[in-house]
Amino acid sequence: MTGTERRGDVALHEVTKRFGPTLAVDRVSLTIPHASYCCLLGPSGCGKTTILRMIAGHEEPSSGRILIGGQDVAGLVPAQRGTALMFQSYALFPHLSVRDNVAFNLRMRGVPREQRHREADRMLELVRMTAFADRMPAQLSGGQQQRVALARALITNPRVLLLDEPLSALDEFLRLQMRSELKRLQTDLGITFVHVTHTQPEAIALADLVVVMNQGIIEQAASAREVYARPRSPYVARFLGGQNVIMGKVRDQDGRHALLDGPGGALFRVPLHERRPRPGEPVWFAVRRDLIHLARAGAGAVTAENSLEGLVEAVEYQGSFVKVTLATATGEEFLVNEPEAAFFASPVARGDRALASWQPDQVHLLEPDRAGAGGSPSLTAAA
Amino acid sequence: MRRLVPYLQVAPLATVLLLFLVIPVGMILVVSFWSYDQFDIYPDFILDNYRYIFTSPVTFSIYLKTIYYAVVTWAITLVLGFTISYYLVFHVRNLLWQIGLFLLCTVPFWTSNIIRMISWIPFLGREGIFNQALLATGLASAPLEFLLFSDFAVILAYVHLFTLFMIVPIFNAMARISPTVIEAAVDGGAKPWQVVLHVVLPLSKTGVALGSIFVVALVMGDFFVVRTMSGGQSGSVASALNNEIGLLQYPTAAAGAVVLLVIVTLMVAAILRIVDVRRELAA
Amino acid sequence: MTVGPQGRRPLSFWILTAVFVLFVLFLYGPMSAIYILSFQGPTGGLTFPMRGVSLHWFGALFGQQRTGDFSGSFARSIILALIVMALTLVISLAAGLAFRQRFRGATLIFYAAIASLVMPGLFVGLGIALVCQVLGITPRWWLTGLGAHLTWTLPFGLLIMFAVFNRFDRSYEEAARDLGASDRQVLTAVILPILAPGLIAVALFGFTLSYDEVARSTLTVGARNTMPLEIYAMTNNVTSPALFALGTVTTAISFLAIAVALLTIARITRRRGTGPVRAADPAGAPS
Repeated sequence: MTGTERRGDVALHEVTKRFGPTLAVDRVSLTIPHASYCCLLGPSGCGKTTILRMIAGHEEPSSGRILIGGQDVAGLVPAQRGTALMFQSYALFPHLSVRDNVAFNLRMRGVPREQRHREADRMLELVRMTAFADRMPAQLSGGQQQRVALARALITNPRVLLLDEPLSALDEFLRLQMRSELKRLQTDLGITFVHVTHTQPEAIALADLVVVMNQGIIEQAASAREVYARPRSPYVARFLGGQNVIMGKVRDQDGRHALLDGPGGALFRVPLHERRPRPGEPVWFAVRRDLIHLARAGAGAVTAENSLEGLVEAVEYQGSFVKVTLATATGEEFLVNEPEAAFFASPVARGDRALASWQPDQVHLLEPDRAGAGGSPSLTAAA
Repeated sequence: MRRLVPYLQVAPLATVLLLFLVIPVGMILVVSFWSYDQFDIYPDFILDNYRYIFTSPVTFSIYLKTIYYAVVTWAITLVLGFTISYYLVFHVRNLLWQIGLFLLCTVPFWTSNIIRMISWIPFLGREGIFNQALLATGLASAPLEFLLFSDFAVILAYVHLFTLFMIVPIFNAMARISPTVIEAAVDGGAKPWQVVLHVVLPLSKTGVALGSIFVVALVMGDFFVVRTMSGGQSGSVASALNNEIGLLQYPTAAAGAVVLLVIVTLMVAAILRIVDVRRELAA
Repeated sequence: MTVGPQGRRPLSFWILTAVFVLFVLFLYGPMSAIYILSFQGPTGGLTFPMRGVSLHWFGALFGQQRTGDFSGSFARSIILALIVMALTLVISLAAGLAFRQRFRGATLIFYAAIASLVMPGLFVGLGIALVCQVLGITPRWWLTGLGAHLTWTLPFGLLIMFAVFNRFDRSYEEAARDLGASDRQVLTAVILPILAPGLIAVALFGFTLSYDEVARSTLTVGARNTMPLEIYAMTNNVTSPALFALGTVTTAISFLAIAVALLTIARITRRRGTGPVRAADPAGAPS
């Protein structure tokens, strides 16, 4: 692919994919800017890999359009799209040496042996695998195999690199190392990376654009900071972690704030911005774990607005902070990350009663989930 | 266009099976209703060929004999096949050794059955190696007559030829049992024989069923082992059919083949009723 | 493993080892006896003792005297086995590729193949002979004989292809397509080389099963016998060690085929550094 226009922006318009009766991707629209690092994030079965495979051309959408660099790629075979896919299993050809694996694309295009080996060696240098050029894939470690797969994909000179769970097969140490290497490569090459993952920290660390998916639809597509600090829906807040999701029913509102009835007689005051909920309507909001004040029972705690009382279920020391788990009337775990010093100034223990409270301006209002019913707590990603 | 591809790919196989299996077997069914004389066979619809089978006094005894061979061979090959597979899978620890010994058991499959069968003749004869050894060691005062040309020789040859049809599927089934399952059973307090009875056997039953189908079908359809090893003194259903074919009594032979096929099919169906092997075969 | 990897072998291990050794002796003992007896001196008989050692009985095979048409049947068997091998390989591979997708009639064809495996060979032969008689076709080894052999080798080929494709990761193909391979290149540069060990196993089954086939051949090869039929005929009228010499020759061919196949598979897997994997295990198939 040596077109004059080498833009690697990817646009999906109302893309739907059905497998028989099941709807894997449901009218998804998304624009991934050129030369950005995009992570598709979600639990298994949410449709993220299907989207990746449709961009790559290994699946055709049931309906909708996909444009790469402004060009509709419908009906184009994978190699014509200017994309390269790195498979989760790496899919290195077991019968070819590392060098021949990397040179495979050139061999298919009829490039003479000498030249394609030279090219392959250049790519192996880029991923620091020169020393292993003559090995067979089975003789490499997982991390080495991945570098080879990367070199094999990059030799096609793609404008979009598609990565399917690229780090999932690696151990913790290698994962962190490869993570930063992927980011470095993306910046150096200046091409678009689309990376599918189910691990939230991976997406947050890498992506310019995080696309949070659930049951075939996009819950939120925004920068990493945005999805983490300002999740759009309860689902995003729970999946990204770091937040407590609370629901209350509107008792009253004055245009700027609403007063919500929470579980167990709790009262929450939340800022409304543009929203104007009707009385009785359920409203979800999130409060960051590290912005909650924890008061010990018997230390003058008063039940007031924006607080929840609960029983301490677990206390976990995390180094810079202490994670306290409360059982409250919400039915969900309520987590408080208290700075180490503050915690040990007046520690709590399992079985104590404690009161969690927060400031109204630290509340982040959520919209209902797009997929399914609003408050299913089954997908909590406790980090 | 792309949707046509699998049909094109499977067409050669389908054609071969149609021309050389389905149509011929259909032909057997058709011809079983035909009449014949000593020169040719004639299209007809008569039941004489079947009437002959069901009224002949030999039919019952020859079926009894064939089923006797099948059951005894099945029992022996089952015990042997299970034991050998169990040994290879659970007692040979080195994978290379395991594959090597397994191949040792299966290599004869790729050699001539006839040669393997006739190799028993110098062994079992009146002056054969076995009798010579018995006389030399004084274990017998006169050569044993029953060794060759007897039911013993027939079943011995069957076991010799067909045990590997038991070993291979049982081995495959056992090799799929996760070692952790065995360890869990041992942790759960099972004695070795209890592990075999309550864990290994149930988990390898599809292999047992497949092997049983092979052995039963092979014995029921055999004509040359029984003729050679019994010295012509005994017969099976298939060898009787072979004789009728030799006499060009095709319609009678065809009717006999239909009856035997029905019986084999019923036996296979009975095995399949006990164990569902479809998933195993398709996997 | 019934005991830990470092543990002492239990008594059952030694008992089962003894059973296994006896079984291997039972399997190979009689066969080895006839190989030895085929080197009998010219005056020797069908059993021990050996009266000298000679190649006399091998020579007798090539002389036309009592041993029938040895060279002709031998050549026919080899040629037929090679044709069957090639066809089994191509047809099984194509069918294996087809069965990876859904298509109408798949179940039917699958059960027909299994029926072909379990069907007594004599009946396949009888059926083909009847069709020939009705249509006025003369059975010939390269026509009806070939078809009869294929009904025996193809089910094995198909089952091996199932086992092989089961372990074949589809992402290899997608990776190749992603890297610009055409349909034909995907087949020749990726699928065939990766499946090579399994394909060699299919070829081994195709060759040896055809080369040794009796039951399906009797009524289908026509006037000119294949080697196993020649041997079968000899068991009735030849009572000299020439029979054993023939057995030794034909078994040597089988062993040669097995050795070539297994060594090639071993070489491929060693080259790939994949070690002893079950994919290279040709005998994983007759189930």
